Amino acid sequence: MAKITVYSTPTCPWCTRAKNYLRSKNITFADIDVSVDREKAMEMVKKSGQQGVPVLDIDGNIIVGFDQARIDSLLGL
Amino acid sequence: MLLNINKNKEKNQKQAIYDTIILGGGPAGLTAGLYTSRARQSTLIIENMIPGGQAATTVMLENYPGFPDGIGGPQLGALMESQAMKYGTEVVYENIVDVNLDGDVKEITTDNNKYKARTIILATGAKPRKLNIPGAVKFDGKGISYCATCDGALFADKDVIIVGGGNSAVEEGIFLTRFVKSITFVQDLPQLTAEKILQERLFTHKNISVIYNNKLISVDGEDRISSLTVEKTDTKKTEIVPADGIFVYIGYIPNTEYLKGSIELNKMGYIKADKDLHTSISGVFAAGDIIEKTLRQVATAVGDGALAAFSAIKYLEK
Repeated sequence: MAKITVYSTPTCPWCTRAKNYLRSKNITFADIDVSVDREKAMEMVKKSGQQGVPVLDIDGNIIVGFDQARIDSLLGL
Repeated sequence: MLLNINKNKEKNQKQAIYDTIILGGGPAGLTAGLYTSRARQSTLIIENMIPGGQAATTVMLENYPGFPDGIGGPQLGALMESQAMKYGTEVVYENIVDVNLDGDVKEITTDNNKYKARTIILATGAKPRKLNIPGAVKFDGKGISYCATCDGALFADKDVIIVGGGNSAVEEGIFLTRFVKSITFVQDLPQLTAEKILQERLFTHKNISVIYNNKLISVDGEDRISSLTVEKTDTKKTEIVPADGIFVYIGYIPNTEYLKGSIELNKMGYIKADKDLHTSISGVFAAGDIIEKTLRQVATAVGDGALAAFSAIKYLEK
């Protein structure tokens, strides 16, 4: 089972889209709200070099934005 | 196994020809769906993000009638979606990759499926125009953001720049005051153009300043943004402004790439539609931010959606 973390903010539509997509495939993930968790926000920026959400970490592979093709290929969907 | 057979059946049923397929699930598309499904036309909406489209990136809408205390963009989108679905509109979340709009039966290809319909309503809206200056690509997503609503929280206690002075720029500026240390607007005109009520509210906040009559010419820094360069519109005199991040609101560009030249556009790339919102192709209508018009608001999008739906209904009755 892949270890998945989604870094997001509650007011970001593409974050909602990404999480809805994972849920529609019955995939569980850690849901990190970087608007309240400063430490995790720093972790996300460090991992991805990005100051934008969503960022997905799938077993150490970083995906920036909602990139369905990459999510599918990493999860074998 | 039985489950699989049922699943296939369901998929085959989806190969049926819809009366109307609506591309885009923003206010225009969702209103069109409400009207066509209430006319008992089989209706499918294809959306690639979440219901509400661009309105879903707005924290609070205060100028959409019926909500005196305002309503959140995502909430309004969800309400509009459930209202359309209540009358039978189906909604799928897929990416449109190709369209064939000629003939009596039109075909829409997404990354997952193929769909057919007798009428199409194009309501895929517009997206923020990106900066096209040195540093814009290098720092995209790394200090340059086109969605304060999404990324604002990542700029806590920072000094940020907002490029632009219209409603979006000022609304998002007000939102950013929750997080950032200071905001400097860079505006190429001698005034902001946002609604007066928004400007008044903006200036009740501390640490807001505006550099008028200047345009942004580069975004500078090594690994991170350290400053940007602005140029005075008349004298061309340049100035360096320190900044940690930039939010950009310099207008929109229509989402028409998937049409691949199959439909008549104006020179700005917006769809040309007649007074009943029929496009240059028979049976294809358009609504919302994607069409040529002077005011792009949720209030105008829903009107377009209703009219495009009405025209599609009339077209099918012929």
